[in-house]
Amino acid sequence: MTFRFRHKSSLFARGVFWPALTLALLAASGAANAHPHVWVAVRSEVVFAPNGKIIGLRHAWEFDEMYSAFAVQGLGKDGKPPTREELAPLAKTNVESLAEFEFFTFAKQGGAKLKFLEPTEVTLESDEKKIVTLRFLLPLETPVPAQKPFSFQVYDPTYFVSFNFEKQNPVTLARAPDGCSVSAVEPKPLVADENKKLSEAFFQNFSPGADFGIKLATRVIVACP
Amino acid sequence: MTAKGRFVAALLLALVAFGCADRLATAQTGRNPFAMAGGEAAGAATGLAGTILAWQNKFHIELQSAAKALKTSGSAFWTLAGASFAYGVFHAAGPGHGKAVLASYMIASETALRRGMILAALAALLQGCVAIGLVGAAAALLGATAMQMKSAANTIELASYGAIALLGAGLVWKKGRAFFAALRAPPDIVASRGGFYCEAVDDPSHVHSASCGHLHAVDPTTLERDFSWSGALGAVVAAGLRPCSGAILILVFTLAQGSFWAGASAVLLMSAGTAITTGFLAACAVFARQTARRWSGPGRRWASLAGRGAELLAAALVMGLGLALLVGARLNAA
Repeated sequence: MTFRFRHKSSLFARGVFWPALTLALLAASGAANAHPHVWVAVRSEVVFAPNGKIIGLRHAWEFDEMYSAFAVQGLGKDGKPPTREELAPLAKTNVESLAEFEFFTFAKQGGAKLKFLEPTEVTLESDEKKIVTLRFLLPLETPVPAQKPFSFQVYDPTYFVSFNFEKQNPVTLARAPDGCSVSAVEPKPLVADENKKLSEAFFQNFSPGADFGIKLATRVIVACP
Repeated sequence: MTAKGRFVAALLLALVAFGCADRLATAQTGRNPFAMAGGEAAGAATGLAGTILAWQNKFHIELQSAAKALKTSGSAFWTLAGASFAYGVFHAAGPGHGKAVLASYMIASETALRRGMILAALAALLQGCVAIGLVGAAAALLGATAMQMKSAANTIELASYGAIALLGAGLVWKKGRAFFAALRAPPDIVASRGGFYCEAVDDPSHVHSASCGHLHAVDPTTLERDFSWSGALGAVVAAGLRPCSGAILILVFTLAQGSFWAGASAVLLMSAGTAITTGFLAACAVFARQTARRWSGPGRRWASLAGRGAELLAAALVMGLGLALLVGARLNAA
């Protein structure tokens, strides 16, 4: 079957249309790859050393019902939720591959990016409703003084996982010196802004560049006197 | 029908092939720690994605709440069915790299429109069936855990990457031979009334018949000859073998709620939705090729060489994509 163009148009337009449309669809499909399949409700604790330095973050990531169903599949006796021991192998695999994604945790102080070491104290637990929560301590490579503002974000740059801080007490401080405070800066709404730029962005953004994960991420700021 | 026009068309085909190669760049991205079947997280969003993203999110969330509601309400199935279908349409990247593979395959080898769309539909259907088979057999029958399903999905994924590489290698062999044959081909043929004569033989009485073995336009008989079902099925397997995380999630979730069959039906509807989008892409690829092909009718040798070159490039990209995915998966496994 061949396709006939009914309208007389310039040679250029005729030759360009289908290849361009194919290309555009492929580009759009690349974009479409990045949408969340997994939702995580984040609670974090900023951990201080006795000397007042920040030594790391303790994360508690509660997964959505679907991922939780996946995690507990085939585990647990007689319809009971699985034990920590039963979930340990999955926890181990999950955490092992976190390093490649920078633990989805991006911390900064004074404009400099801070590095983390491999997580410790890793547990994956299921509650009575079979919702699973992954907990771990993420130590900073070098503890930092808390007098300069310390900030971090939790997001997946590829946006396969949608991380959102819990509404109630999303971030707490552990053993913080007196007078330290924590605040959260919400991201700007995304879609309205993106739509405005849509027309020119269409042909400019074929290559991966803009990240939705970061655009949607809340920034937590810790400040100490 | 100018030589210049044909050259532009060939260049555009090459450009489309490079669009497929976009996947190459993302192929090396590591596996997301929380992925079911891996690979899908690859690729950052672009500016265009704002709207698509919003739609996908909407349908995914709808899907999830409808699956939850299955337990309490029978009519929730219809919501689930509708959401699954819509999710399939908007989750255009369903087969992951599948679409790039299908588009490249169709650019590299002449495929009729209807066949192209059938191939796209088969790939989408295969993908849904693999997910149902995986969760049905592994989880429902054998009580497999998330870890075991992950590793089974990884094995299937490796096989699909191998299939992509093989398909590409086959195409490279075929298109490479055609390209080098064209390179060695006799000098330009110029059309004249009633047939053709060869430029080199400066003798008007030396005339070939009107069909002297040269391709002039999209010719149905050529389509038949160039098309092979084994190659096409290879493309279907390469594009559709790998199950998607979304389908696995729905299946495991409905299984946990004792409504696996509702989940399986939803996944088949998801495949139907995906088939619409990939079918549309396939149609575009077919038209793109036909446009270029019509322009590379009888005429300058270098223009037809450029066309052959574009085909070879698309073939090489399929092979490169398969190899890159294989290497990437091996590196992840290590």
